[in-house]
Amino acid sequence: MNPAFALGIVLYLCVTALVASILAIRARDLVKAVAFSAMQSVAYAIIYALLLAPDILFVYVAVGVGIYPILMLYAISKTKRFEEVSEG
Amino acid sequence: MVSVAYVIYVASFITLACTAAVGVYGVLAKRNIIKKIIALTIVGDTANTFAILLGFRVSANVMPPVLPSLNPSKELLTRFAGAAVDPVPQALVITAIVINLAITAFLLFLAVRIYSLYGTLDYGKVIRVRRGELDGEG
Repeated sequence: MNPAFALGIVLYLCVTALVASILAIRARDLVKAVAFSAMQSVAYAIIYALLLAPDILFVYVAVGVGIYPILMLYAISKTKRFEEVSEG
Repeated sequence: MVSVAYVIYVASFITLACTAAVGVYGVLAKRNIIKKIIALTIVGDTANTFAILLGFRVSANVMPPVLPSLNPSKELLTRFAGAAVDPVPQALVITAIVINLAITAFLLFLAVRIYSLYGTLDYGKVIRVRRGELDGEG
């Protein structure tokens, strides 16, 4: 494969991860923030596949898209879903 | 001579640095504790991807760090050493992912305990309840 082509897809996925991170930080709804964080994890998993690290791809898909959101949704279900607007 | 692939490679590094900066901003500036933990996972994943990208080799005939045969000949080994990506960051990152997972699980447990003790996830409110300025709800 042409290295410029593969690295171009990597750059595109890096920008996707950046946008997803900004949306995850800005979201008031914590469930939305977890979903955007999982989207960023999917982008990073495809980056690992393109950078020829298939073993990390298998671990990271299970951890980043499976276990992180499950743990966080469990914690959110035990606490509050919406971030409160604080006055300082 | 600077090729197009090398420019894209450096641009990917800069984008990852921006993502790490967004994560650090989230850890420092957000008041909700679970939001802080989400930002922390973003920082950790970005650092892992940074290491993997550092071990990549920008060339046309790049191959994964796995030997294609069990009894390699000498010329196959020479070609492999000249074309395979660096396996050391990959070995380190696969450890770091699992350690990040354990740390995140522990921090989420602490967040649930803080909520049940103080009745809020807001960092500033937890401090004020501890000082006795505010009545705890829990």
